[in-house]
Amino acid sequence: MPTVTINDRTIEVERGTNLVEAAKKAGVQIPHYCYHPRLSIVGQCRMCLVQLDGGDKLAAACSVNVEKDGMQVRTDVPEVKEAQRGMMEFFLINHPLDCPICDQAGECGLQDYAFKHGQAYSRFQYEDKRVYPGRERIPLGPNVLLNMNRCIQCTRCVRFTREVSGTGELGFFNRGARTEIGVFPGKPLDNPLSTNVVDICPVGALTSTRFRFAERVWYLDKRPSLCTGCDVGCNITLEHRRGKIRRYKPRHNEAVNDYWMCDYGRETFERYETLPRLAAPRRMGDLDDDNVPDLVPIGWTEALDELRERLQMAGKAAVAGSGNLTTEEAWLLAKVADAAGVEDLPLVTTQGPTRTIPNTHGGVSGSDAQPNRRGAELAGLGGGGMDASDLLEGDAAANLDLLVVADSDFSEAAHDPEVVERLRRADYLVVLGWADSPLARAADLALPVATHAETSGTFVNVQWRAQRFEAAFPPAGQIRPASEVLADLLDRFDEGWEGATLGDVFTRMAEEVPAFAGLDFDLPPTGSVLNVPEAAGAAPGGSAETGTGTEVTG
Amino acid sequence: MAFEPILTRNVGHPEARTVDGYKKRGGYAGLAKALKMEPGEVIEEVKTSGLRGRGGAGFPAGLKWSFVPQDTGKEKYLVCNADESEPGTFKDRLLMEHDPQQLIEGNAICCYAVGASTCYIYIRGEYTEALHIMEEAIKDAYDAGILGDNVMGSGFKLDMYMHAGAGAYICGEETGMLESLEGKRGQPRVKPPFPAVVGAFGSPTVINNVETLANVPHIMERGGEWFAGIGTDERNTGPKLYAVSGHVEHPGTYEFPIGVPFSELLDACGGIWRGRELKAYIPGGASAAILPGDEFYDLPMDFDQIANAGSMLGSAAVMVMDETTCMVRSVARLAKFFNHESCGQCTPCREGTNWMELLLTRIEKGQGRPQDASLLANICTHVSGNSLCALGDAAVGPVKSLVETYFHEIEQHVADGGCPYPEIRVFSNGQAA
Repeated sequence: MPTVTINDRTIEVERGTNLVEAAKKAGVQIPHYCYHPRLSIVGQCRMCLVQLDGGDKLAAACSVNVEKDGMQVRTDVPEVKEAQRGMMEFFLINHPLDCPICDQAGECGLQDYAFKHGQAYSRFQYEDKRVYPGRERIPLGPNVLLNMNRCIQCTRCVRFTREVSGTGELGFFNRGARTEIGVFPGKPLDNPLSTNVVDICPVGALTSTRFRFAERVWYLDKRPSLCTGCDVGCNITLEHRRGKIRRYKPRHNEAVNDYWMCDYGRETFERYETLPRLAAPRRMGDLDDDNVPDLVPIGWTEALDELRERLQMAGKAAVAGSGNLTTEEAWLLAKVADAAGVEDLPLVTTQGPTRTIPNTHGGVSGSDAQPNRRGAELAGLGGGGMDASDLLEGDAAANLDLLVVADSDFSEAAHDPEVVERLRRADYLVVLGWADSPLARAADLALPVATHAETSGTFVNVQWRAQRFEAAFPPAGQIRPASEVLADLLDRFDEGWEGATLGDVFTRMAEEVPAFAGLDFDLPPTGSVLNVPEAAGAAPGGSAETGTGTEVTG
Repeated sequence: MAFEPILTRNVGHPEARTVDGYKKRGGYAGLAKALKMEPGEVIEEVKTSGLRGRGGAGFPAGLKWSFVPQDTGKEKYLVCNADESEPGTFKDRLLMEHDPQQLIEGNAICCYAVGASTCYIYIRGEYTEALHIMEEAIKDAYDAGILGDNVMGSGFKLDMYMHAGAGAYICGEETGMLESLEGKRGQPRVKPPFPAVVGAFGSPTVINNVETLANVPHIMERGGEWFAGIGTDERNTGPKLYAVSGHVEHPGTYEFPIGVPFSELLDACGGIWRGRELKAYIPGGASAAILPGDEFYDLPMDFDQIANAGSMLGSAAVMVMDETTCMVRSVARLAKFFNHESCGQCTPCREGTNWMELLLTRIEKGQGRPQDASLLANICTHVSGNSLCALGDAAVGPVKSLVETYFHEIEQHVADGGCPYPEIRVFSNGQAA
């Protein structure tokens, strides 16, 4: 591999490595706007100018690849500093500097580089700034708003729609200092990946209609997490303020979602806000005057004791899980069922539209509407003679003394009165879940558990890749993570489980479930592909059936 | 004058626009000779001639041709740059309108040498007359077997197409031209890769200026040695067209051996108009630095000596300015041109040309501030060398020379609060108001 020296630091890089990336490897940040690792090189912003081999003319680092040995790159010489100062000045002379009312403030490339490479005064004092009248808030599509005055013409968004989403809605219009970004008449920016252009816009020109004005970004607590919208398992940054989730942003994982995620996934957290929340364990009391049963809050100990008793007493019982459970929760649920002698473990799965996220390995496509059907199956759910459809569409519940449904929001069906009525036919109905859904309200015993934002666990995605996510914030009040609740319940059958940590659960599961054999609790950041036959055919990063990186469906 | 016109020998002979008429005047001898040679020998002959690109950069043509990789298995292209848009440049127009067959012959020789079987002539959209004449000439050349599947009976296949631009100066930049030719927005590409390797439609492509290619038939016919004997030295060879405009009695295109002294060129144009004095001249188009007339009156007009004088031969569009010319206003007008023609993709050019125009306009209006000159100079250093293509550098050329050479005129504008030169309106009949 050729060596390259960047500001006296010599490193070896792969032949053909771009200088911006090589510098990153050497610990030197080369400022850039138009460069993005997944977009074509255009060399437009001129922010990444560096000195090459001591030459007079500066070169754009993004358009230089390390091909030969011994290349000398400097970013710390006065020529480069002066050029960077010059570029920053050019970017800012016509920029509105409306940071106080700009959504991007706090995560803005202009702000960051102005502090680092710019100057604190303006020499553009006697001329009028260029403005684009009437182009301050143009909806490019349902999810993206354009403020042309703030644009720095880096064309990342244009290239994204051409090269990644493959939809090409955006174009570069007009010329010179009047150049602008826009859509073609009657062709709005409306594709499943459209909000990614907001993420890659280095300034406040493109903002998200969903997130706009929801929160100043410096108040956001940003936690690594996973999207629950489908079984692709996009790695995300969950951004919340005091437990109120404000947005999901894609988190780079080259093997899964690369730098992207879909618009649908970004709105999945809204469910946590719009649905009522189950706040405390409760059982169904007597009927009130209107013939509606009273829902009586009870303590956790009482609730779990009651549940253990019911499980032990029940003649015919079933435990229904869903693909929304984490693998650990599913495994604990299966353990409980096993301890209680319950044989029927139907698994509720739901198909959604196929969603494809492009990556460098051909993309990942998922069509489950739940994030963890595979993990739940591996953990032991889905066994026994009873099918989920027997419960949801048939009359199987009528023969049950006890039915436990884990996840009060397993799918839209949990909100369907007819389905609720079918499940209610069981003599005693227990529901675990975060949502106070119609199903939860119909339950004899309802147990409030954490949302995925409030708990930690492992999901197995469409590539059979086990990925860990951590709790972004703790659940409020009496709500507890399902893994804790189930461990406590299991302790009532098999002593020693009380207070088990997620690590304990995972380690035990890895001992007992062959697919997880040998896996350490600390999964690699990009996840681990499980040792299952189905995973063998999948490409290193993607599922085998997806053709190109630009294909977008769903 | 002893110099026998070479490139313009058919000007004034409209019959030479047809293949027959052109042949009668000695045409297509160069192509016939080239087709009997090996392509490599043709390139060597052009290298021997020392022919340098006439579009502005002055890159040796033979060397450029030799860069085209022959082993890629891809189609190769010749794109003839006829997007002559620099203010003050009108030499290619003359060549196309008066001697289209000469250009077709030059293109054919180049295609043969580099192994291209398709040639595009990218012509400036405003050149409707030249486009019409070229199209007629190409049709005639097809009919006469000069173009087509069997060029002059040699078995060599060559197709030639005219492609008209839509009016953007930047499409004269070679990669901007390729983008436009491919049907995209005309804006330069980042280099490398260079067009010789990845050019039109991803294939190796040679791009030469009209005048460069018009020289080629003569090199083939009379030999590279003969060609190299014309001009000032071995780095500046052959005939050159100078497009003279501005305050001279007879503006127009003049052919001289390259390196003709400016004074001789001025004499050929009948001197400065109205008996006035020379103040300054731009030797090579709008992007060249302005040279003071007294200091560089006898400057030989070739690539190297103009470069040594701090300017450039460029496209050899000579703009002459008499003593009544306001340099600030002149440069402000040029800055306006470059601002208007900046494609807008790269930051220094998009913002810098805009700012320079605003500043210069303000100074010319008498609202300048003492620090504006140094600000202008500083903007120049930020634009110069930092832009994606050469347009940024081009825009800086005249502004930098204004600040360096005519600093006192800026000072005077600032001090007087206005332009010290009376504004002269010249009507289309040439009468000053």
